[in-house]
Amino acid sequence: MSLLDVKNLKVEFETADGVVSAVNNVNFSIDEGKILAIVGESGSGKSQTVFGMTGLLDHNGKATGSVMFEGEEILNLSNEKLNQIRAEKIAMIFQDPMTSLNPYVRVSEQMTEVLIHHQGLSKSDALKQSISMLDAVRIPDAVNRIRMYPHEFSGGMRQRVMIAMSLLCRPKLLIADEPTTALDVTVQAQIMKLLADLQKDFGMSIILITHDLGVVAGSSDDMLVMYGGEIMEIGKTEDIYSSPTHPYTQGLMSAVPRLNDSEERLTTIPGNPPNMMKAPEGCPFAPRCNYTLDKCNSDSPVLAKVSDNHFRACHVAKEKIS
Amino acid sequence: MINYIIKRIGIAIPTLLILIAVSFYLMHAAPGGPFTSERPLPAQVLANIEAKYGLDQPIWRQMINYLWGVITEFDFGPSYKYHDRTVNEIIGHGFPITLKYGFWSFIVAVGVGIPLGAIAAIRKNTWIDYLAVGVSIGAQVLPNFVMAPLLIIVFTLWLDWLPGGGWNGGAWQYLVMPVIALSTSYMASIARITRSSMLEVLNTNYIRTARSKGLPTKVIFFRHVLKPSLLPVISYLGPAFVGLITGSVLIDIYFSTGGMGYFFVNAAFNRDYSVMMGITIVVGSLTILFSLIADLLYAWIDPKIRY
Repeated sequence: MSLLDVKNLKVEFETADGVVSAVNNVNFSIDEGKILAIVGESGSGKSQTVFGMTGLLDHNGKATGSVMFEGEEILNLSNEKLNQIRAEKIAMIFQDPMTSLNPYVRVSEQMTEVLIHHQGLSKSDALKQSISMLDAVRIPDAVNRIRMYPHEFSGGMRQRVMIAMSLLCRPKLLIADEPTTALDVTVQAQIMKLLADLQKDFGMSIILITHDLGVVAGSSDDMLVMYGGEIMEIGKTEDIYSSPTHPYTQGLMSAVPRLNDSEERLTTIPGNPPNMMKAPEGCPFAPRCNYTLDKCNSDSPVLAKVSDNHFRACHVAKEKIS
Repeated sequence: MINYIIKRIGIAIPTLLILIAVSFYLMHAAPGGPFTSERPLPAQVLANIEAKYGLDQPIWRQMINYLWGVITEFDFGPSYKYHDRTVNEIIGHGFPITLKYGFWSFIVAVGVGIPLGAIAAIRKNTWIDYLAVGVSIGAQVLPNFVMAPLLIIVFTLWLDWLPGGGWNGGAWQYLVMPVIALSTSYMASIARITRSSMLEVLNTNYIRTARSKGLPTKVIFFRHVLKPSLLPVISYLGPAFVGLITGSVLIDIYFSTGGMGYFFVNAAFNRDYSVMMGITIVVGSLTILFSLIADLLYAWIDPKIRY
């Protein structure tokens, strides 16, 4: 049994201009102790997928489908029921540690409240555990720094605080929503290394959301490529890396700048992500794809097996894509 | 912090002096004087009276004399119109009245305004929100010179529940209508500021973080939402508090409360220089004091501000 099993997940937002469907029939699962990367450009629906799963959508959002966590349905549970799972079993860290920590509340309070509320610890015990968790994410002088406010930490240190805070209850699953996007490149590497180490120490699973393929390569077991709210390709990270079978994945791969490349200009995928107001009839990527066939514009491709554990949604024959 | 307070008080003194100087000159620049009336006094008599009050001296001299009295003896001088009363007595009589109904208006404005705005923000786009917004817009467009007579018509003339005016030592029956009339528009502003700033806070990433931590709604609201939402309210409350406790001439006129606002406006009509100056100094000092208090409160809530 998988730790998390997502079936036919749909996320829709009701706006003044009509219904926007941000996520369309997404299916995936993650096993215990694994790292799954969700990759896609801005607006591809990757964040809304996890917000939908955990009931954190904005008020106008609605999620349908099924999300089984440890064999139990958690999608659209009441807030009270979800609160017993959040932080306790499924914890989250976010893109911008600058704004994701409350600037008006001391770090100590933001951390201890998790333990006090979920595990009923006393204030002093909660503080002790929070300090040792800050030590675990390698924040120097944690005893004193825990009394500070978020703005007194640097960006990388703040993300460490976020990570420490999310791990307080030893969750089974950590959802990391672009954890390194707002950080310097050198700090990014440190944070990814830290996450990988902690994942081993704590034996948890991680869903890593990112648009940075460099981050994905070294740090995930499986990956899932999203575009226009749909899954384009899913499989083992090494398989997809060695032979991407979807034109969109290929485009992403070739857009990664390489040091040994003599070309001055970076490769890009021409065009813009689709307008989610009106869901495209065919493949959402068709307007930007180099291989578009007639039926790409009319029929939505379904995920088809490429090899074991490797699926793609594309009408174009695999051999034609190079 | 202490240094900052000392510095602010240091700035307050020259600010007050400038305020006094400008008001003094402006007051004297207006034509007429306290002893001009429709039936002119004989020139000699007028000159004698003016000499008695020192009004024959050059204006800078008058100002220095006045300031000297204020600083050394805390004496704001005699009233030019009420011959048996000093300015100290007039302020001593009017200010406690104004302070009392102003303070209660402040309590009502804050006590109703903040919860009203907060409920509207939390229940955004529901009938509760629409009702709260409707009430606050209604309260804001209804000026107190309309509000006051309406209250008197309803509660005094129709229902006969409350006295239509007077003070009676500030008994509660005499307080209710002045407080309602004075507080409504402030309450409405506070509610609207609270609502919009709370909506902003509810949309921030750190509130999403708090939700992702599985905290009960109550904890999220009181620990994470309330404090940052009140920041804009506090910057409004400093000047609003001074506005409330220094009174409103309309309240004093409609309800015959006898507060400071009444004396201030009368003094302006009568060219009662010393009463005008006295009240100007009181209001000016309070304004400076309460903007300092608002700034200190701000720093207390926002850890990024340290003086």
